[in-house]
Amino acid sequence: MEFIILILAGVLFATAIYNLLQKQLLRLVIGSVLLSHGAHLFILTMGELKRGNPPILTDGVNDYSDPLPQALILTSIVISFGITSLLLVLAYRAANENNTDNMEQLRGNDNE
Amino acid sequence: MIFTVLIPLLLACFIPFISRFKQKIHTGVFVFFVPFAIFLYFIQFTGTGFESIQHTYNWIPSLGINLDFHLDGLSLLFALLISGIGALVVLYSIYYLDRSENLGHFYVYLLMFMSAMLGIVLSDNVFVLYTFWELTSISSFLLIGYWHFKEKSRYGALKSMMITIFGGLSMFGGFILLSVISGTTSIQVMIANADMILNHPYMPLALGFILLGAFTKSAQFPFHIWLPDAMEAPTPVSAYLHSATMVKAGLYLVARFSPVFADFEWFFIIVSLAGIITLCWASYMAVHQTDLKAILAFSTVSQLGMIMAMLGFGTKAAVFAAVFHILNHATFKGSLFMVAGTVDHETGTRDIRKLGGLFTFMPITATLALFGTFSMAGIPLPFLNGFYSKELFFDSTLDLREGMNATASFLAEAIPYLAVFGSIFTFVYSLYFLFGTFGGKTQVDKLAKKPHEAPFGMLISPAILVLGVILIGLFPNAFNGTFIAHAAEAVYGGDIVKDIHFWHGWDSTAFQMSLAVVGLGAILAVTRTKWNGVYQVLPGTWSVNKVYNSFMEKLDIYSRKMTTFYMTGSLRLYMALILSTILIVTAGFMLATNGFTIDFSNLAPVSIIEVAVVLVIIAAAIGTVFAKKNLAAILIVGVAGYGVALLFVIYRAPDLALTQLVVETVSVALFLLCFYHLPNLKKRNDPLRTKMTNAIISVGFGAMVTLIGISAHSSDWFGTISDYFLETSYKLGGGNNVVNVILVDMRGLDTLFEIAVLGIAALAIYTLIKFKTDKGGK
Amino acid sequence: MSNFAVLPIIIPLIAGIILAFFPKKLTLVRTLSKIFMIGNLAVVSYIAWNVFHHGSVILETGGWTAPYGIILIADELSILLILTTNIVAAACAFYAPYSLSDRKEQFYFYSFFFFLISGVSGAFLTGDLFNMFVFFEVLLMSSYALIVLGGDKVQLRESVKYVFINLFSSMLFVTAIAFIYGALGTVNMAQIAQRVQEVDQQGILTTVGILLFFVFATKAALFPLYYWMPNSYAVPNPVISALFGALLTKVGIYAIIRVFSLIFVHETELTHEVFIWIAGLSMLFGIFGALSTNNIKLIIAYNIIPAIGFILMGLGVFNQDALSGSIYYLVHDMLIKTSLFLLAGTIAYAAGTSDLRKFSGLIHYYPFLGWMLFVSAFVLAGIPPFSGFIGKLLLLKGALAGEEIAIVIIALLSSLLILYSVVKIFIKGFWGEKDESFKPKSIKGRTAPIVVLLALSIFMGIGAEFIYPTIESISAYLLDPENYINAVMKE
Repeated sequence: MEFIILILAGVLFATAIYNLLQKQLLRLVIGSVLLSHGAHLFILTMGELKRGNPPILTDGVNDYSDPLPQALILTSIVISFGITSLLLVLAYRAANENNTDNMEQLRGNDNE
Repeated sequence: MIFTVLIPLLLACFIPFISRFKQKIHTGVFVFFVPFAIFLYFIQFTGTGFESIQHTYNWIPSLGINLDFHLDGLSLLFALLISGIGALVVLYSIYYLDRSENLGHFYVYLLMFMSAMLGIVLSDNVFVLYTFWELTSISSFLLIGYWHFKEKSRYGALKSMMITIFGGLSMFGGFILLSVISGTTSIQVMIANADMILNHPYMPLALGFILLGAFTKSAQFPFHIWLPDAMEAPTPVSAYLHSATMVKAGLYLVARFSPVFADFEWFFIIVSLAGIITLCWASYMAVHQTDLKAILAFSTVSQLGMIMAMLGFGTKAAVFAAVFHILNHATFKGSLFMVAGTVDHETGTRDIRKLGGLFTFMPITATLALFGTFSMAGIPLPFLNGFYSKELFFDSTLDLREGMNATASFLAEAIPYLAVFGSIFTFVYSLYFLFGTFGGKTQVDKLAKKPHEAPFGMLISPAILVLGVILIGLFPNAFNGTFIAHAAEAVYGGDIVKDIHFWHGWDSTAFQMSLAVVGLGAILAVTRTKWNGVYQVLPGTWSVNKVYNSFMEKLDIYSRKMTTFYMTGSLRLYMALILSTILIVTAGFMLATNGFTIDFSNLAPVSIIEVAVVLVIIAAAIGTVFAKKNLAAILIVGVAGYGVALLFVIYRAPDLALTQLVVETVSVALFLLCFYHLPNLKKRNDPLRTKMTNAIISVGFGAMVTLIGISAHSSDWFGTISDYFLETSYKLGGGNNVVNVILVDMRGLDTLFEIAVLGIAALAIYTLIKFKTDKGGK
Repeated sequence: MSNFAVLPIIIPLIAGIILAFFPKKLTLVRTLSKIFMIGNLAVVSYIAWNVFHHGSVILETGGWTAPYGIILIADELSILLILTTNIVAAACAFYAPYSLSDRKEQFYFYSFFFFLISGVSGAFLTGDLFNMFVFFEVLLMSSYALIVLGGDKVQLRESVKYVFINLFSSMLFVTAIAFIYGALGTVNMAQIAQRVQEVDQQGILTTVGILLFFVFATKAALFPLYYWMPNSYAVPNPVISALFGALLTKVGIYAIIRVFSLIFVHETELTHEVFIWIAGLSMLFGIFGALSTNNIKLIIAYNIIPAIGFILMGLGVFNQDALSGSIYYLVHDMLIKTSLFLLAGTIAYAAGTSDLRKFSGLIHYYPFLGWMLFVSAFVLAGIPPFSGFIGKLLLLKGALAGEEIAIVIIALLSSLLILYSVVKIFIKGFWGEKDESFKPKSIKGRTAPIVVLLALSIFMGIGAEFIYPTIESISAYLLDPENYINAVMKE
């Protein structure tokens, strides 16, 4: 099963990157969201999947799933959320200010 | 000895204050005493019983960079030239530069140069020498650009800097290599260990690096092109830096290191060849210049070439002649530069086509010029020092070392002829300079000012130099024993006892060569105007200058072309380049290190529900690529996010699942808020090639990370540190939810700053929105 | 003492939070930020003094022993860089009020500024790979906020590119950490190093290492990953450009030095050889970029790339001299890049434009500014006796001893072109006819911070004897990973 999840993460990366290579701002933001999902699944899989109970200590249970990746993912989710929110507002402002959501029209030149 | 180097620098710091009084006393008056005192200091070392002395002051001992000052014959000769000519030049400048000029800057640069130049010739430490070397380049740059409102000054300054600092950096590389090879930074120690250096495989590289430095500084072909343009500097500077001292730093360097390299055949070949080509080319070029200072500039280049060639010969006679000529050249060329400056000052032009017949107006200047040019031409008269060293030069070309390889012996054969060839043109331009300016018809109407004799003060310095020409000519051996021989010994190594005679007899080959030069030179000088056409053929339109100009131009143009080629501002291109680089190199590493491993043991079983969820997420992810409407795309991303949350539930991560759900919901809301009103996703009309590239990069990257992930997962060498967390969570952390304990306790710092990130993001978003809405109001 | 290790992170964080409460009271905010800055500088100097005299200061946060908790380790390298960071930041704090509009200052400039310093210090201090990611995010998030501060069209445009590319590399960072955890079961750097050593860096580890290299190389603006950098560094206010130029890319190269001297040091003939090539290409492409433009801010921004190339070159050669050179050059470049960005900003302000084709003869009105630029050019190019020279000397010595001739030639050539690219500003912008109609603006207050930074740069060259032994001891420490591992993993 781990390999299937790893493949899923790879697919998420691939689609994310495909979106990142587009022109329209919305697609780029979507790409970055998918990218973070992919990264989180990679962390999750690197602990061992589905061995034992959730890591909440209970009497009589000795088998728990790996808590550290979960902690790391939690931190990462929150950070990604912060960045995504900023990115959304930034994208919105950039698109409004420059009157386009097409990155190819946001090239600019040296001497401004 | 360190004070001689430091005093000019110290005074330079005070010049800005002194120059405030320039209306009362010319700043140069204060400056004059510095080189003069230094000259007096060094003169005490001259004499027959001279021994070299060494002083060391620590600077950066842990890097081997110390102020090791070493005064031997060679340094002494140069120190005397630097301080002596320096004093005369300052004296001359007092009359040459008007008080309305920015005298403060001028003398600061000049003193900086004086310090630096003394530093070069006195340093025994290669890195200190390099430091002073660059300082001379910098002060030369500033002095050439002194009249920086002139376009040509700026051009000349930049050119000299580019070429000399190019050489300087190369020399720096050579010095580092030498210090790595020999394990020392002291030149004297390197000389003592010459064998070790000579046998090292990297020795030719070090030599090449160092020679590049010497050739650029001493304006050897094809690096000579900066010197004629350096003539934009005020004439005292040209006399001082660009003829008597700085340009000889390259000669000094070659002379200084010749005890290390002289036994290496290619040293002879490269140095002699560079020198002799420079001699011929520059003296040939000098003949058709129209600017007085340009004639002198090319003449300087050719004389430098001649000395360089002699240093390349490396024989006892050649080394002696080289050292002797360094002194002689400084005297006659210094005086000629001052003469040119005087003519310019009194007539308002240096264009030889407008000048002529000035003898009647400026008899004293003309007489000084006569001695200078005749000495330069090597006319056989017993009171002209130039003849002696020219004769010694011819002599040394005849006596080149035997038993060398084919290239070297062929060169040795050719050298005497080339020497005569170059000297003929030297003769021609010398007469051309003299008669073009002072002889012939006067053309007063073409001059900006009515010419008259220069003020007395302006004549003192050239007169003293001409006196030097005559005295050395009359009593060569008085100078020889006291310091010239010491200098030659320092270069050659062994004893040099050499008497200088005027007369060697009619059957002396060198004398016959001299006669040939005078004879052929006289014919060419008389018919000079007749063969102007020759220059249309060679150099014609070809010149090294063009190479430099087009290099500098192309440098800018191609930099721009190349940079704008990929710095297009297109994010897609940047991303594509970055991604493909990472993809190719990382995949390459994976192949090269045989990184891929796969291990099917120790895996969780595959279950239908999970696979179903995975398929949904995959479908959603791919769906985002094809979605046409903003709303659809945003909702599909939401599906993927909720799918991931579901996976977290399945994989026993309740906290994650909860967080993911909340975050996903808020994100989708934000998405809708920001993008609902923006135009809908357009149909992509990218060309197929772009689409294919995008697809290849993204699929490749996805495949690569998956493969790395599989390998990382299959490399199970160690247990995880998580067991410790499960053990201690309750005992030490006081909580049952291990993930929570990790977050708030073991990795509390992460959490603190994760919150900080959120806070900063919130503040940033507030700023982004608020800064805009307030804009209209203010 | 060990608790002190957290102060360089916490003080700026608290300062940033406090300053966020009353953004409109500018006089108070400015005074407070200067006080905080000086205070932090004093604390950091004290820690540095301790580290240099009594060895590394290590804090196991929350009392959790390594490798389980997060470790902060102030060794000589990290504290030296934090010290430099604070010096640079202090100069910027004093320059900021002159350069920024009141409005920008009111919109939390000083808070973001302190958050940035906190993030940078954290990245230098942490001994935990995931924690490094968190600090990277802190400093990146602050930089996102700073780069858009003002919200001009151009700024928004460039910042979108900046954010996307950095976001991508951050996610790749997380992924690489996941792979390391998968293979080695830990995120503590010392333990990672220990375990990599035990398995002799076999299998997938080198690949993961290279992935990590690219993550950092993107942040460090190395060839061929720097496309995002020049324009996005040239558009914001000069103070912000200076902070970015001095700190952000340097955090990237610091991470590379740390990871590839501590962890992935068992296949150097492969990895470090690639670094030398990347270093050489960075030098060439960076300097061609600098020569391609007439925008003085862009010229300076492009000059970051070859500098990073020089630093990477030392790591690539990987011997004592070369590594010392890298570290010397790193500190030197932080100082000189800040002063150059501030200088470029001041010149652009004085001339009214940053387009070199549109002004000349400034020396008649701003002689002091001109001479500062002139000296900076030589400091930057590594002409003796300034700071760049010592770094370059060590780098080239190391490279020649390591028989890497090609990179030496590239390094020397690019030094010449670096000099040319900056002296060009002096020749075209400062030399020339006096323009009588020109009305000079006052640049009072802007020069003092630059003077201090330049003086430090010059001292680093002339007074190298006071600094070099420390640098030498750092590179000796880095060359033997056991030093770090033993300091962290005590048992």
